[in-house]
Amino acid sequence: MSVNRDDFSIAFRSALLQRGGAQKFSILSLIILAIFIFFLDVYGFTLVQKTRSIINDIIFRVSYIASSPSRLIPNASKSLSSHFLLKKENEKLKQVIENYKSLDLNLEYLTNENKNLRKVLDAENVINTEDIINSKNIVLAKVLIDKNSPFLKSIVINKGTQSGIKKGMPVTQDNYLVGRVVDVNFLSARVLLLTDLNSRIPVTLGSDSAQAILTGSGTKNPKLEYLPEDYVFENVVTIFASGKDGIFTPGTPIGKTTTNSDTSSNDVKLFVDPNQLSFVTVNLIRQNKENF
Amino acid sequence: MAKLNFLNKFFNAGPLILLYYLSISEIDSNLEKVFEIFTFNLPIIIIYFWILKRPNIMGTGHIFVAGLINDVVMGFPLGISSLTYLVVCFFSNYVRNKSVNTTIASDWFTFFIALIFANLLFFLLVNNFSDVTISYVKIGYNTFFTLFLFPILWLLFSLYQANFIGGQDA
Repeated sequence: MSVNRDDFSIAFRSALLQRGGAQKFSILSLIILAIFIFFLDVYGFTLVQKTRSIINDIIFRVSYIASSPSRLIPNASKSLSSHFLLKKENEKLKQVIENYKSLDLNLEYLTNENKNLRKVLDAENVINTEDIINSKNIVLAKVLIDKNSPFLKSIVINKGTQSGIKKGMPVTQDNYLVGRVVDVNFLSARVLLLTDLNSRIPVTLGSDSAQAILTGSGTKNPKLEYLPEDYVFENVVTIFASGKDGIFTPGTPIGKTTTNSDTSSNDVKLFVDPNQLSFVTVNLIRQNKENF
Repeated sequence: MAKLNFLNKFFNAGPLILLYYLSISEIDSNLEKVFEIFTFNLPIIIIYFWILKRPNIMGTGHIFVAGLINDVVMGFPLGISSLTYLVVCFFSNYVRNKSVNTTIASDWFTFFIALIFANLLFFLLVNNFSDVTISYVKIGYNTFFTLFLFPILWLLFSLYQANFIGGQDA
């Protein structure tokens, strides 16, 4: 019996402390070091944050280069097939441009009407839509890393504090909301996508402007929570950011509710597929919280 | 002769290169696009297998650094993946010290214990000490599929070992 206990303790100690060959460090010392680094990082001392920011910038760049073969192969096949479909695509695009022209006229009319109505309402803190459209308040960024982690849904972009990006800023693609900046380095930033489990966005929906919270569930479609009691989806409705948190621009489109047959699921189909992001825009305007 | 020596060194470094590449690149073992719940942790299988079979080709220092890189790329608190990998490393070392001749079944069983313990530690530390929240259901799926795929990868790595590295098990 005592021999067995000795065997156990010898094997246990050896597994923890053994060195030699390629094992330059004992596992115990590395475990202690890893715990030390973990708590330093979690409790966020300034020096550690700055060091991490530099490490992040370097590793994101290296990761981007290392992942380039995996991006090149599908891109090459895509461009080859698109080359053959060029003529057809050209005709389609012409038609789309015509549609957009007519839509542009409608938009101009609606913008003017909106401005006039706002003047009538004499609203305070009205967001100037021209500011949003103005390019100096928008930063175009390339997606460096789109590692599809099973636990966290985030992307890394190639712009950071150098370009004026700050924590919390909304990120869009084609004016559709994609997520928000959660971590900023000097040359890069991490964007938390709407599908992440940690994402919570105040939204508004429907003709009665019902308020709700769009919650990421870790799956493709986020869910609507905290809807008004007994709220029934009569039809497929579009979800917009309400801007009540003072972060997101009110009225930024997010997605549509899925089929109205299953009202209990409250799933929202996003306008932008979070797995297909290559360029995004960061809105540098910081909203102010609504004053009542 | 020198060329042969270089090739040997290259093949010996193969698992370590794969571990580093998986940590730093976008290529990952998350196949959610194919099947919504299908994710598995390939680095843990690599570490467990090679520490068990050939500890000389996979240093613990390298495993520690690969974990740190993985944390940066994934956006986890620094050190959490390193800790997970080192726990797996410890279990693998212990099994190697205690056993003389291992089979796929015994390795699979001991890997199950190592995996459960490592993922439990990961989940507890991330959920209790950081701002990040992780769903235990996702961890559960990840654990299940990692365990499920272990025998297949065990056979693949054994083939690699027999053909490119050679020699007896450690």
